[in-house]
Amino acid sequence: MLRSRPDRTTVLFITLVVFSFMLTTYDVQTAQVGSIGSALRSSAEFVFSPVQKAASAITRPVVGFVDGVANLASLRDENDQLRSQLALVEQELADSESLQAELEALRSLNNIVGPAEIDTVTARIFAVAPSGFDNVRGIDRGSSDGIGVGMPVVDESGLIGRVDVVFADSARVRLISDPTVRVGVRVLRTNETGWVSGRGTAPLALEMFEPELAVAEGDKVVTEGGRFPAGLIVGTVREGARSEAGFALRTTVDPIVVFSQLDFVKVLIETGQDEFIEAVPEEEGPPVQLQETPPGESP
Amino acid sequence: MTSSRLLGALALVVAAVVLQTTLFVSTRPFGAAPDLIVLAVFALLRFMPAEPGIFLGFTGGLLADLLGGSPLGMWALSLTVVAYLVLRMRDRARDSSGLAVLGVFAFTLLAQGQYVLLGTLFGQQPLKDPNVPRIIILTAVFTAILAVAVLPMSSWLSRQSRNRRTRVLA
Repeated sequence: MLRSRPDRTTVLFITLVVFSFMLTTYDVQTAQVGSIGSALRSSAEFVFSPVQKAASAITRPVVGFVDGVANLASLRDENDQLRSQLALVEQELADSESLQAELEALRSLNNIVGPAEIDTVTARIFAVAPSGFDNVRGIDRGSSDGIGVGMPVVDESGLIGRVDVVFADSARVRLISDPTVRVGVRVLRTNETGWVSGRGTAPLALEMFEPELAVAEGDKVVTEGGRFPAGLIVGTVREGARSEAGFALRTTVDPIVVFSQLDFVKVLIETGQDEFIEAVPEEEGPPVQLQETPPGESP
Repeated sequence: MTSSRLLGALALVVAAVVLQTTLFVSTRPFGAAPDLIVLAVFALLRFMPAEPGIFLGFTGGLLADLLGGSPLGMWALSLTVVAYLVLRMRDRARDSSGLAVLGVFAFTLLAQGQYVLLGTLFGQQPLKDPNVPRIIILTAVFTAILAVAVLPMSSWLSRQSRNRRTRVLA
């Protein structure tokens, strides 16, 4: 009996599918140690990042114009809302000035360097991932500007993410909305800690283990320290929640940053962990870490 | 198919990947954007020989992997599958624009769905985002809308090129 043999196209298809699957497995397994995958990425970045930067520079004004026209009505509403918010913020600013002075005094007493004192590099976002499920952005500054892997990335509102991969003149930022990212946080009002993890386009998930106090809607959530400098605003609690005895508190947090509207960002030139938390001057003894390492990020 | 036409097809897929990664930096209506890579692969594969066509899908996917944030091979696998299915079904949609647009919609759904499935398998946890079904459907809808403009253009270009070749041979 004759058996039909697959044609050449099918054989090629099966070969490429098996090869792709093996490539993914290999890349996932060697992601942490540097591999052929990172070499290939560097080469692709070297070739394509100038093209992407040029394409971004050309298309940005056109996209901006179309976007502006499409959102004209909502921009007017937004403008009105912003006016009313501005009045509130001015009032809050006046209240916070005295608190700021108090904070500076405490920082100088404890030799703590705040986020505002860290060197920053301003970068522009010029690329996104091809898929809506990859929460990464390409920025137009790289290792030649002092940027390194793991450095926190912020904008004027708060935390955006951290540098994931660095090339000579560009870098890739993994957003805190990525499901593989966890950030150790503190709820400002209750001063209790937990962590937030990304959920893509949905609000961040906040998890706190056996907190004594409930969280309320609108509570500000800031970074706790460790991989990210302490005190960077992450977001606000979306829905109040309390934990039952012995159980974790779970709720969601609206990120302070609108990830789809990012343009310019700042990379904090520090490598996280102890370097950020400067301690007692040398003559007074060895550096002291002020906080326990919080639940940081998962890889 | 001549090597210059193959290079031209490759250049179009590369252009689609570059545009996909730069055009939608700040514009993603309802969190989604059209999938230009699937659209380019579909438009080109309707008129390409089978084996270079499969390679084209694989190459486009691999480039998307290299410029994205996911493990290498995930897009390559998704687009190889899409390319193979387009090649198997292209005769049915060659003369019907409506079917072709429907095909773009279905293949975009397939590519995105596969990508999410592979992401879950390889620990990227895309399903933690409860909006995944909405994003997949919107991406397919946007791509199909764009296909209404792009596919007739690609058909016309292909016809022109075929006519020129016939004239040269005659």
